[in-house]
Amino acid sequence: MIGGLFIYNHKGEVLISRVYRDDIGRNAVDAFRVNVIHARQQVRSPVTNIARTSFFHIKRSNIWLAAVTKQNVNAAMVFEFLLKMVEVMQSYFGKITEENVKNNFVLIYEILDEILDFGYPQNTDTGILKTFITQQGVKSQSKEETSQITSQVTGQIGWRREGIKYRRNELFLDVLESVNLLMSPQGQVLSAHVAGRIVMKSYLSGMPECKFGINDKVLMDTRGRSNMDESSSRTGATSGKSSIAIDDCQFHQCVKLSKFETEHSISFIPPDGEFELMKYRTTKDISLPFRVIPLVREVGRSKMEVKVVVKSNFKPSLLAQKVEVRIPTPLNTSGVQVICMKGRAKYKASENAIVWKIKRMGGMKECQLSAEIELLNTSDKKKWTRPPISMNFEVPFAPSGFKVRYLKVFEPKLNYSDHDVIKWVRYIGRSGHYETRC
Amino acid sequence: MNFVFVKTLKNSRESLTDRKGKKINVFFRALPRKDQRSCNLTKKATMPAVKGDNMRGLLVFISDIRNCKSKEAEIKRINKELANIRSKFKGDKTLDGYHKKKYVCKLLFIFLLGHDIDFGYMEAVNLLSSNRYTEKQIGYLFISVMISANNDLIKLVIKSIKNDLASPNPVHVNLALQCTANIGSKEMAEGLGNEIPKLLVTGETIDSVKQSAALTLLRLLRTSPEYIQIGEWSSRVIHLLNDQHLGVVTSAASLIEALVKKNPEEYKGCVSLAIVTASYTDLQDYTYYFVPAPWLSVKLLRLLQNYPPPEDPAVRTRLTECLETILNKAQEPPKSKKIQHGNAKNAVLNEAINLIIHMDSDPNLLVRACNQLGQFLQHRETNLRYLALESMCLLATSEFSHEAVKKHQETVVNSLKTERDVSVRQRAVDLLYAMCDKTNAEEIVGEMLEYLETADYSIREEMVLKVAILAEKYAVDYTWYVDVILNLIRISGDYVSEEVWYRVIQIVINRDDVQGYAAKTVFEALQAPACHENMVKVGGYILGEFGNLIAGDPRSSPLVQFQLLHSKYHLCGPATRGLILSTYIKFVNLFPEIKSTIQDVLKSDNNLRNSDVELQQRSVEYLQLSTVASTDVLATVLEEMPPFPERESSILAKLKKKKPTVTEQAENKEPKQPMPQAQMSNNVNTHNTPLSVPAASNPPSAAASDDLLGLNSPGPSQAAPSAGSFLLDVFDTVGSSPPTNGVDSNGLTPGAEESFKKFICKNNGVLFENDLLQIGVKSEYRQNLGRLGIFYGNKTSFQFSGFSIDTHCSQITCTPKPVGTTIESGAQVQQVINIECITEFSDAPLLIISFMCNGNSHRLNLKLPVMFSKFSEPAEMDSATFFARWKGLSQPNQECQKVFKAKFPIDTEQNKTKMLGFGISILEGIDPNPDNYVSAGVIHIKGSQVGCLVRLEPNKNAQMYRLTIRASKPPVPNILADLLEHQF
Repeated sequence: MIGGLFIYNHKGEVLISRVYRDDIGRNAVDAFRVNVIHARQQVRSPVTNIARTSFFHIKRSNIWLAAVTKQNVNAAMVFEFLLKMVEVMQSYFGKITEENVKNNFVLIYEILDEILDFGYPQNTDTGILKTFITQQGVKSQSKEETSQITSQVTGQIGWRREGIKYRRNELFLDVLESVNLLMSPQGQVLSAHVAGRIVMKSYLSGMPECKFGINDKVLMDTRGRSNMDESSSRTGATSGKSSIAIDDCQFHQCVKLSKFETEHSISFIPPDGEFELMKYRTTKDISLPFRVIPLVREVGRSKMEVKVVVKSNFKPSLLAQKVEVRIPTPLNTSGVQVICMKGRAKYKASENAIVWKIKRMGGMKECQLSAEIELLNTSDKKKWTRPPISMNFEVPFAPSGFKVRYLKVFEPKLNYSDHDVIKWVRYIGRSGHYETRC
Repeated sequence: MNFVFVKTLKNSRESLTDRKGKKINVFFRALPRKDQRSCNLTKKATMPAVKGDNMRGLLVFISDIRNCKSKEAEIKRINKELANIRSKFKGDKTLDGYHKKKYVCKLLFIFLLGHDIDFGYMEAVNLLSSNRYTEKQIGYLFISVMISANNDLIKLVIKSIKNDLASPNPVHVNLALQCTANIGSKEMAEGLGNEIPKLLVTGETIDSVKQSAALTLLRLLRTSPEYIQIGEWSSRVIHLLNDQHLGVVTSAASLIEALVKKNPEEYKGCVSLAIVTASYTDLQDYTYYFVPAPWLSVKLLRLLQNYPPPEDPAVRTRLTECLETILNKAQEPPKSKKIQHGNAKNAVLNEAINLIIHMDSDPNLLVRACNQLGQFLQHRETNLRYLALESMCLLATSEFSHEAVKKHQETVVNSLKTERDVSVRQRAVDLLYAMCDKTNAEEIVGEMLEYLETADYSIREEMVLKVAILAEKYAVDYTWYVDVILNLIRISGDYVSEEVWYRVIQIVINRDDVQGYAAKTVFEALQAPACHENMVKVGGYILGEFGNLIAGDPRSSPLVQFQLLHSKYHLCGPATRGLILSTYIKFVNLFPEIKSTIQDVLKSDNNLRNSDVELQQRSVEYLQLSTVASTDVLATVLEEMPPFPERESSILAKLKKKKPTVTEQAENKEPKQPMPQAQMSNNVNTHNTPLSVPAASNPPSAAASDDLLGLNSPGPSQAAPSAGSFLLDVFDTVGSSPPTNGVDSNGLTPGAEESFKKFICKNNGVLFENDLLQIGVKSEYRQNLGRLGIFYGNKTSFQFSGFSIDTHCSQITCTPKPVGTTIESGAQVQQVINIECITEFSDAPLLIISFMCNGNSHRLNLKLPVMFSKFSEPAEMDSATFFARWKGLSQPNQECQKVFKAKFPIDTEQNKTKMLGFGISILEGIDPNPDNYVSAGVIHIKGSQVGCLVRLEPNKNAQMYRLTIRASKPPVPNILADLLEHQF
């Protein structure tokens, strides 16, 4: 289990230090500083073993978060916890910076006391934490309130309190996907995958039970089979191109896993407010929103010509936004002339790249950029390594083909039905590492 | 001054790049300093200060970098700046000097931050041709930091340097010299090797330039001496020592010392000059913390150490006076409490003492130096004590001062015990060793032994060796020696190397008078409940030899001795157990009354079936020996060991090997003292020879005798190839060849012919072995080609030098691959010899090995185990074909028949193995008589093949064989028959 948790600034000064177990000595703080933060060579591994003690660290901007243990713990658990910790802190005071950490150190210690007990992670749900760790100073809570919080936190459904009431029952569902791609200059896909997550914002009264349906192949197949005798026409509709193969997925703690195992249905009582319902990953049948066609020609030793064509590959009715293409330039570039038909392109010397920005771009379109790069003769005979051209964008559909089929809300105790709930669904596809070699 | 600065910058490059926090500060501190310097120098050189020289852009850039919050931001800023500089260098070619300088400066700064810079070199080289001091300076700075020796631009740089060297402006010359000294590459030495000496000796150059030139020349001399020709200017260079300017003299002294080391004769003239300079009274003008010109003095004194004391009495007196002055000065009370004063004074004094020791001629001075060092021995400063001990070590070897050194014995012993620093204690041990002689040996050895108990682990082994040597060297009474060594083993048995206890055994064996005493002492020592294995070894050996001398005493009756030894037996390792087993068999001879007890022990499963082959074999053989042999035989076989031949102590050799410098110096200076060679020797070279075989039937002269009973276990790697046939081979060779020294009638080393014959039917095995060397052979043949791997194993504890191998062969091609000329002790070297069979042959190639071992040269003439039959491959055929071919070869010269007596019992299986090993097949069912062997083979010769058919008919009743060989080529049957005849 986690023996202690430290937060350092970029200089290695300790901002927060919390030790949960006696086996972690005082010198552990220094050991990490000396061996990782101030190491001669940059430490790349997130897990470092120093004198039989393991340090797991993540870095957020200039801040180091390190969990330390002497035991053989599940590393994935530790990192999951650290990421949750970051999430919690962000929801309390925004960006994690040295300044913010220093200003909120009391709060952080309070949170640390709550979310880790003797090194065992506890409830890290922000919504719940916010009910009893508040930033508005010490609010003297009444006896009932405290006992309610206690029973709720220790109860079966720790993530939702009772007695929530809304005049309008509303819920928002965001399907956020990031597409990762590596493509060869000839247009061959070398690797591609989509990492998606479903974020839900719920404003529902009472303790509603939700059922969520998606177009996953496995879920739909079993469902189809069980419903075979009910309606054969429906089975025909579900089997086909519209289902997708999800490689792996992960649910929020509120989802009843036993039901998922036995009935292949996703059913849950949602926490109040925003939460991440599900994460998933797919690798098959990804519709790539953009295609980049590079053309690089080296003209002698002092000049280079680059031509880049970007093609959008989705329905013409849709509009991509925040499109940005980054074309790396050689390290001995001494001047760049760029011409582009659409958007704006600029040579950024500090990043050694030409950055081409297009605000909006419809589907099935094509834009072109051509650049002339002047080079300086150098003594170095090393050839330019030609890093890949990368791209950023945002599109209003899910590139994996993911579809929300239904989301049903049942609240037996209160008198609102599924039809009364206002539901919003939104799909956003973003670029992850979207790269094309040139 | 700038020279130093540039150097620091360059040296600190590595550290600068990895410590981000510090590096900017360093550069920042450096910048204003540099500017200051340049201003100072410009003033000196009467150059007008240039306006706008502060390079604001650079300052802005540096402060930007300093204000960067994160590493990423810093990298972005640098990328931006680099792009800017690139566009500037690319764009307008008409950058003025100021801008060029500024950008080059920025590049340099970026480089120092740890980024690679691959452009801007050309601009920096352009800056060199500028006339402005600051531009030139930055150019040189950039070049000396960035340009590696093999850059293409180095030619251009050298050209600019040449121009600057010829410049009338001394500041430019100095810059050029600094750059040369900083880079100091081969090309520079080649290009400028002629210019710099000229600068050094012409009258026009000013002093500061001369100074730099001398140092630059020194640097080039160190990197590439082959290009520096001073030649005709040597006398003028020497006269630089006469220069008025102290700086010139100091730097020239360094240069001259380097030159003297290269060519002492040419620069002999510097001696008198150096002495004159050293005694200069006007050195008083240059004092450093009240010490007149300490650096110069030290350099001159060191320079003088390259020559013997001067012949000319006048010069000599002057030098003596000079040294006396220094010694006098040391006596004066310090003029300052500052540490620098003390350091400078002691540095000069120390160098003076070194010179006195080097000259080793004036007893008065030597004694004074010794007294001075004696004072230092008790000084507070650890470094001084260290130096004093070290210098005294040298003084102790001089005949004049030896006595004087001895006075400080008590202090040294004291420092050995109380000193905190182990390196100082080490020096104290060295000094004690050096000052030991007959008069104080007992005392010193006693002290060292006493100290050994608490000594630091790192110096223990050396101390043990030293104690052992001293005890042996100065032993008047050998009982004392035995006591000391036994004590040594008792106190620090782990650090007693093999050599030490071998040696004590040799001495005891060679001297009758101590044998009884030794036996008594070891017996007593063994009675200690826990004693070291080395002690058991010594005890076992000595009791086995001389146990009878103390058997009269009922307290050490034979049975008691045996039981005492046997109580240790189970605690020891296999090597020691083997030794103890030998002792037991010796006991059988010495004390027949306990024979049965010993036989019981040997019979025990623990010994008789020991998993260790060596122990098992010993047990079995000794048991047999004790039951089979009569008392007479036993007495002969187990006779007392004969005295060992005299040789240099191997311990000394070991000590030399361990610490080549100090002890060798001491030893080299020691011939004046006679080495008290007791009747001692060592024969400890082989791994466990002195113990394993108590003088067997032949006197210990022949090489093979060690292996007589196969007792000596050769190293596992060597044993492997011969494991099966080894014993058998040894037995049959011993009977037939009485060992003679030198060579036999064929000019071969004894045993060579026999071992050659062993190889007729096999490919791998031991070709030759004596107590120095073991030669193993592995071979493989394919058609008419062969490949021999010959393994030379050094069995001694000395290095073989001048190892050379020669092969002589007339009828086949024999190409040995070269091997190194040395073989380290215990090492094995492999040589590969490729062989090609060109025609049939009967004489095997000769292998001549010569080498030096421990000062003796050895030569071995051996026969390479290559026979004609090796190129034979078995051939299969049926009865009909065989007889058809047999009949086809009916001419008289195609057949050879021999009838001979069986040398071995006629054994079908063994014979088959031999025939197959010979390279011919065994054809079954061809001969009507099943006892006969019929074989066929094809022999490959370059370009052709010879088929041969063999028939071997044994006659079991008469123990005879008839061998018939037929082959297509005339001499082949005879050759094969000769080879095969001796195998059955």
